[in-house]
Amino acid sequence: MDRPLPEGVRDLLFADTAAFRRMETALQATWSAWGYREIHLPTFEYADTLATDVGSEMDAELYRFFDRQGRTLALRPDMTIPTARVVGTRLYDQPMPLRLAYTGSVFRYEPPRAGRQHEFGQAGVELIGAGGTVADAEVVALAAAALQAVGLPEFGITLGHVGFFRGLLAGLALPERLTARLQEAVARKAEAELVRLLAETPGLPPVARQAVLALPRLTGSAAMLVDAEAVCLNATMMNALADLRSVAALLDAYGVSRFVTYDLAEVRDLGYYTGITFEGFAPGLGFGLISGGRYDDLIGHFGPPCPAVGWALTLDRLLLARELQGIVEPEPRPDVLLAASPASAEGRRKKEDGRCGSRAGKMGAAEPGAGTGQNCQTCLGWAAVARGRGLKVEIDPLGLDPQALWHAAKARGIPRAAWYAGTEDQATITVREADGAEWRTIGADDWEEMDRWQNR
Amino acid sequence: MAEPLTVALPKGRLTDDALVFLARAGYAVPTNGDGGRKLVLDGADGRLRYILVKPSDVPVFVEYGAADVGVAGLDVLRESARDVYEPLQLPFGYCRLVVAGKAGRPDLPLRLERSPRVATKFPRLTEAFFRKRGIAAELIVMSGSVELAPLVGLADFIVDLVQTGATLRENGLVELRTILESQAELIANRASYRLRAAEVRELIDALAGAVREA
Repeated sequence: MDRPLPEGVRDLLFADTAAFRRMETALQATWSAWGYREIHLPTFEYADTLATDVGSEMDAELYRFFDRQGRTLALRPDMTIPTARVVGTRLYDQPMPLRLAYTGSVFRYEPPRAGRQHEFGQAGVELIGAGGTVADAEVVALAAAALQAVGLPEFGITLGHVGFFRGLLAGLALPERLTARLQEAVARKAEAELVRLLAETPGLPPVARQAVLALPRLTGSAAMLVDAEAVCLNATMMNALADLRSVAALLDAYGVSRFVTYDLAEVRDLGYYTGITFEGFAPGLGFGLISGGRYDDLIGHFGPPCPAVGWALTLDRLLLARELQGIVEPEPRPDVLLAASPASAEGRRKKEDGRCGSRAGKMGAAEPGAGTGQNCQTCLGWAAVARGRGLKVEIDPLGLDPQALWHAAKARGIPRAAWYAGTEDQATITVREADGAEWRTIGADDWEEMDRWQNR
Repeated sequence: MAEPLTVALPKGRLTDDALVFLARAGYAVPTNGDGGRKLVLDGADGRLRYILVKPSDVPVFVEYGAADVGVAGLDVLRESARDVYEPLQLPFGYCRLVVAGKAGRPDLPLRLERSPRVATKFPRLTEAFFRKRGIAAELIVMSGSVELAPLVGLADFIVDLVQTGATLRENGLVELRTILESQAELIANRASYRLRAAEVRELIDALAGAVREA
């Protein structure tokens, strides 16, 4: 029977789930080392809450539905807005700054691109209640630390500042229609369009023209932040540069400046961010995998105004980026497939319920290690001890004979098959590696050997 | 030596023009001897690798980073609405995306049409054009011979690319509105624009130089 999945969702199977878990664990270890505390946020809220000042683009991407009273709810399209609500309504009088972190699924009605479905995994941090470049730099440095921690060998972070372009727009004082076109052209790095725009606005002073034409080239290393002073029209632009230079110096001290470049013509989400903005890329992925910035106006929608800076990364894209750089998550598997006490094939064939130890009388006594119900119970005790030491032990529930057991282990990628025999006083493990030729018997208390089985 | 930048070129006329400008910009370009069947061609100087794709696929290759840069017509670019940078306009591939109808059509503003049937290969731009004017056009998405549609009563109008207008005239059609003036654009992947900033910038500047000299 066909059971199609709705558009926009996906299952993750074993290796991918393990990779997700590993990335989340690495991220959690990183941000907790920086003093960030994790919060858990609801999956849906009132649509009014989530649509606050997010801009029409995200508004159109909301998954909406109704509660029983007919009020409109929506699945969270990101975690920053729910976080801002929590801070604005519940944490506003706590000692500042607050360092918050989260992971979870978010939902956006947008075409799937680069591993991102309508539902995708996000992880992020927010540093709340601290303005200024020290907080800015901390969050950028933490982004670099997080990407390193998840084992992404190569990536780049591009840092900008909305103040630079806002200052330019203020200095130009263009009619609204031209402002929109200019922003659009800068967003697409359309250099020719800038020239055409200037041709339509003959009244502009030469310095202003020069600033517009220079925009697409104001990218590169921190040294560019000094050269860019030449095109500043006002204090807003100068302050943006000063902020970025200060952040650049701190990132140097953090030891992450090799990952960072600057772009003064990055004008995405101009209405949302209020200071620095940044986006991270990895080779071959084509799409941004982490983005963030300063958004001092958001929390004020939910409570007292409060400065904030943060980032969020898309776990699905991180997974792709890691794969593109050759990092393959191994298929999760146990270390050993353990038969409680295998009997002869003949004995087993007659067995119907397959449960360990039942019908012990039918087990072939000629088989080495032929067991009894007593045997099996001891072996379960042994498995519990082994698991306690970190060994991943899977018990064979089918009552396979040794040969079948070994084949089953091999077929399922389990590196060895073993069976347990004896009493509590004198017990042995008989083991055969998946690529080994024969069985060998060791003491069931030979932990030195068995610790070596872990993950190999 | 570093990996070459990958350039997606649209199979057909635009590629010939693009190669002329790339050669003038100082890049080794594949020669005719490479034949028409190979889809991946390496420039002899190792700076660029060329992939030849269907014109409408160029923005997709570039958006996903399968190609670092590409050459695409503005028509295709706007129709695909892909998220790429467009750093340079190239002086070829000029054409117009127009609304055309039968020559004998009564002189009536488009907005007074009831619910016209419009045949096109550009559904997104066509939809946007009519919707903006409050007209509920019925789109007939075709993949070729769009001019035929009004002649056999399939559609009231067509939205199609026009260079000289000769094809339209031959088929008894007249241009009614221009939706978009198109020409070739150099487009760049957002990640490549940053991660391979020096090489991408060098290409943009070299091509811009070649365009100025032309």
